[in-house]
Amino acid sequence: MLAFLTSWLADAPITAVPYALAALGLIISERSGVLNLTAEGLMLVGALTGVGSCLTFDGHPGLALVVAMVSASCVSLLFAGLVVVLRVNQVIAGLSIVFFCQGLTGLVGTLANWQNKHIEGMAHLAIWPFSEIPVIGRIFFMQDPVVYLTVVIFFLVNYWLSSTMMGLRIRSVGENPAAADAAGISVALHRVLAIVLGSSLIGLAGGYISVVNVKLWVTGMTGGRGWIAVALVVFARWAPWPALWGALLFGCIEAVIPHIAAAGIRVPQYLMMMTPYLATIAVMIWVGATQRVGSSEPGALGQPHVREERR
Amino acid sequence: MHDSSALSSTGETASPPAAGRSRFVLDVRQSLPAWKQSLFLAVSLGLGLALSVAILWVAGISPIDLAGELAGVFNADSLRGVLVQAAPLMLVGLAASLAFRIGFWNLGLDGQMVFGGIFAGAISIYQIGPPSTRLLLMGIAAAVGGSLWCLLAGFLKLRFRVNEIIATLLLNYVAVYFLFHLLYGAWQDAKTAFPQSTPFQPFERLTDLGYGINSGLLIAIVAILAAAWLIHYSRIGFYMRFISANPSMAKVVGIPIRAVTLWTVAISGACAGLAGFVNVASQEGRLTESYADGYVFSGVLIAFLSRNDPIVVAVVGFLIAVLFITGQTLQVFYQIPFTMVQMIEAIIVMSVASSEFFIRHRIRWIR
Amino acid sequence: MTAALALKEIRKSFDGVVVLDDAGFSGNAGEVHALLGENGAGKSSLMNVAAGLYAPEAGRIFIGGKAVSLSGPSEARANGIGMVHQHFKLVTSFSVAENILLANQRPQYRSGIKDISAAIERQAAELGFTIDPGRRVNTLTVAEQQQVEIVKVLIGGAKILILDEPTAVLTDAEAERLLETVRRLAATGTAVVLITHKLNEVKRYADSVTIMRRGKTVATLDPSTASTAELTQLTVGATQALPVRARNADTGTRLNVGGLKCTRTDGSTALEDATFFVRPGEIYGIAGVSGNGQAELAEALIGAREPASGEIWVESLGDIAHEPVSTPRIAAVGAIPADRYTFALAGGLSIADNFAVTEIRSGRYGWLGRIDRAAMAREAAEAIAEYDVRGVRNVRQKAALLSGGNAQKLVIAREFSRSPSVVVAHSPSRGLDARACIAVHQSLLSARDRGAAVVLISEDLDEVLGLSDRIGVMTRGRIVAEFARPADRQAIGRAMVDHA
Repeated sequence: MLAFLTSWLADAPITAVPYALAALGLIISERSGVLNLTAEGLMLVGALTGVGSCLTFDGHPGLALVVAMVSASCVSLLFAGLVVVLRVNQVIAGLSIVFFCQGLTGLVGTLANWQNKHIEGMAHLAIWPFSEIPVIGRIFFMQDPVVYLTVVIFFLVNYWLSSTMMGLRIRSVGENPAAADAAGISVALHRVLAIVLGSSLIGLAGGYISVVNVKLWVTGMTGGRGWIAVALVVFARWAPWPALWGALLFGCIEAVIPHIAAAGIRVPQYLMMMTPYLATIAVMIWVGATQRVGSSEPGALGQPHVREERR
Repeated sequence: MHDSSALSSTGETASPPAAGRSRFVLDVRQSLPAWKQSLFLAVSLGLGLALSVAILWVAGISPIDLAGELAGVFNADSLRGVLVQAAPLMLVGLAASLAFRIGFWNLGLDGQMVFGGIFAGAISIYQIGPPSTRLLLMGIAAAVGGSLWCLLAGFLKLRFRVNEIIATLLLNYVAVYFLFHLLYGAWQDAKTAFPQSTPFQPFERLTDLGYGINSGLLIAIVAILAAAWLIHYSRIGFYMRFISANPSMAKVVGIPIRAVTLWTVAISGACAGLAGFVNVASQEGRLTESYADGYVFSGVLIAFLSRNDPIVVAVVGFLIAVLFITGQTLQVFYQIPFTMVQMIEAIIVMSVASSEFFIRHRIRWIR
Repeated sequence: MTAALALKEIRKSFDGVVVLDDAGFSGNAGEVHALLGENGAGKSSLMNVAAGLYAPEAGRIFIGGKAVSLSGPSEARANGIGMVHQHFKLVTSFSVAENILLANQRPQYRSGIKDISAAIERQAAELGFTIDPGRRVNTLTVAEQQQVEIVKVLIGGAKILILDEPTAVLTDAEAERLLETVRRLAATGTAVVLITHKLNEVKRYADSVTIMRRGKTVATLDPSTASTAELTQLTVGATQALPVRARNADTGTRLNVGGLKCTRTDGSTALEDATFFVRPGEIYGIAGVSGNGQAELAEALIGAREPASGEIWVESLGDIAHEPVSTPRIAAVGAIPADRYTFALAGGLSIADNFAVTEIRSGRYGWLGRIDRAAMAREAAEAIAEYDVRGVRNVRQKAALLSGGNAQKLVIAREFSRSPSVVVAHSPSRGLDARACIAVHQSLLSARDRGAAVVLISEDLDEVLGLSDRIGVMTRGRIVAEFARPADRQAIGRAMVDHA
């Protein structure tokens, strides 16, 4: 029993990291007022380019992750252009980017022959001496570097949003763009910045799945995790730390599936695979039933900003 | 006396404004003549298609080859394939457009198609009803199945305020896994090792009506005509227009918003369910893994391009069917993966959406 | 003397509609210069140009005699212009200090907050305000938020202070305090521009006044030498005839509102306890500064919002407070809401559709399966002729193309064509020119004369005083006092203040 728990919980951070990073990336852009549905697509971009980088440059997984981040940010510029400059409906733009990325990554992955090619991945980094502690040591102190990095990133982003001038400006643009505009802050610039920065984290999430976790690329490998990340943002009420806890919860749920099968418990396979999605819906129901509507949503979420619009 | 000449006491003479930073300025337009709107639309669509052609060229298909394939689609054989493919596309386009009209983002088209097929398949597998009415029962069951799956999301939205974008998308995955569960389990055809159900009997299939037109297409066209009448002539269509134009007002003038929403969601799901039925009962003749793949965004695209009008949905649905068949040909002969079709669809949507910007705003350059 | 702020020959239009037509302005330092005009005259637009929010198509801006070209609000601020708008540009979930830090950026957040908080306390003390920099803006009253806006602008180094209709959201007493402060500020050398439509403010507090009408600058005078009649004449173009009054109401109760309470989405109470009744054939006016629950009361009465508790009893219907809007309710209650395009009209749909929508459910225009378009168009055209709605070439054109006054007339045409027994009107003449106002007032009076019970909710005290048979004063979500015609304006003002 203890062995089951230990191996399950040791795997949970690995499955949780993509959710956490993607949700955090979405939070950054949504705090600036942009409804962001692009996670599923940008994660695929990160996943593909991460693997591609490993295969092409025969390189360090760290480099692959950086490539993943940069590629996702580049694609996010398209999204930023659509919603900030051209004021396209943010739902349509987000959906289009997702399907564009699904198509593009499928195309590139096949043409460049990157499918199903195994790569090395990343070694675990044991934090000695804590890693020697039974049970706890294996769960918390023997993970790959990105897991630790994720925690650091959360601290950094939280500080940045709440206690810096740039964070203040980005939040103001999301709460009341008219006020920010009147204060001389460029709404467009800050929204683009938030989108690009957030997307780098989403790309990292995708790159992590393919480079570190699964260690190969298959078309459509993110399997809906991007949408779960979108739901997580609502669950976290647009705040960083609750998103991390939510991601851990989902990581635990997703991580348990292979362990149950390995433990010999016979559960219908495909019904088990439904659990993350059903769990997400359950979480959304809980949020809707308990939360007062609109109390923590950024005030101007989803509305494009035009200064001279006359009522 | 009233002295407006006080202004001239500042002592300046009239001359062009002093140089400052030049910039773009946006004005919101009140209205734009229809022909100009069509022009913007056409130009943006053209740019999107040009970009798609360019990407295909990079992938190894020159525009000449592409033109050849496209022309080849219009011979009798391929045309039959296009018409068969057009039926489910029109139906999902219709499903999406009806829901979008009242602001319900029904992205669960795949899942609703799956359940449409499953319910129809159940009628066949459990042999419900006499052979003469079996097909009709399957169709009705499919509509009910799709409708229920969509109503689930609608209920979650109305009762728990769950955002339907996420709910419908997640339910897609749930539906597909449920289908796999059946196809690899209880419903698997004992004679093969593949995840397929036993084939339907001949009287359980949608047959050709002659001239290569499949009766699935007939179902689609009837649905479109019914929807067009619903929207333009019936009371619920009137209500839908108000809910879409001004939801706060709809409440005040006594429009039963909840009822209209639920009915629309149900009808939307039913159309998608029928699309699933058409797919399993015409070409495939059985339940397979992938009869519902890739229809979500196609539905969104068709609804978006046709501005949610049912008759235009038929035309656009046909054009997208051409795109699908071309995609299949490219896949077979040039090894271009079918996901390329999704990418082109996304490019088209983005281009057309961008044109709205130019339609709604006038740009001026200020020195 | 060189003007602190001067605008010459400014032209501005929005998509073909001209809002500023060779408008000009010149204000000096050390004086309060009023910009007077009716709704829609262009006063706010002209000052939005000065504040860098609108880019003019033609014309020049001079600050201290020097020509400038403003590319945006920050450049305007760099030139010493600070504007306090009617709709405050505050992020309500931020603290006072964060809001002011946003507008007056410092390199670092933590030290910036400390710095700004000290500056806030200094500036507020000079002006006689009490402001706690750490408080969230959404916990402040409207008057306090306005003070924050003024402090924000002064900390930013404004030498030219523009106030856009500052007293619209204040009680008489708060308004007096504000304008006294503004005069003191001007005495220290700031140039103050006071945008207003209230003549008494101009006469009491302004050193000079520029009058605008329909986008043009009509005149610039010294208010101490000009008479009220002269000022009125220039502002509206023709003297307004006040409607003739007095009528004895019937006995009995047509509408009874008891203990009505409404809460906002965040849980705070917007309407505490509204209790009043209205007889058939009388106009009950509800006076009060906006923001005291009037909007919520109006919304509850027309069915846009469900009250948390309380009753709305209508003679033929019973208690409708918690019912969705039904067909009999639509027939009995006519609604003229404040925001036309939010609750009364769907701009994107046709005039005929907008006219017919309230009667669709009753079956007047066809059954479930088919609606009778021809009948809709016919009856719409008749009503439009009867109520003098101008600018309609075709009943199938979009409702959004109607001007404010004509849109309001369309709403009235629709609501009154059902001969409702209760009429709820909320700020019915907001944003309308003088002629449209008179038409609206006459409609309300004729509804009253036909025996309807009319509830008139308005921030415009003149409107309420002129039309109502009985007046209720609303403060902090309650009706605190009632007056019968002829009502004493001073007493009403005191009632608003005493309970504030």
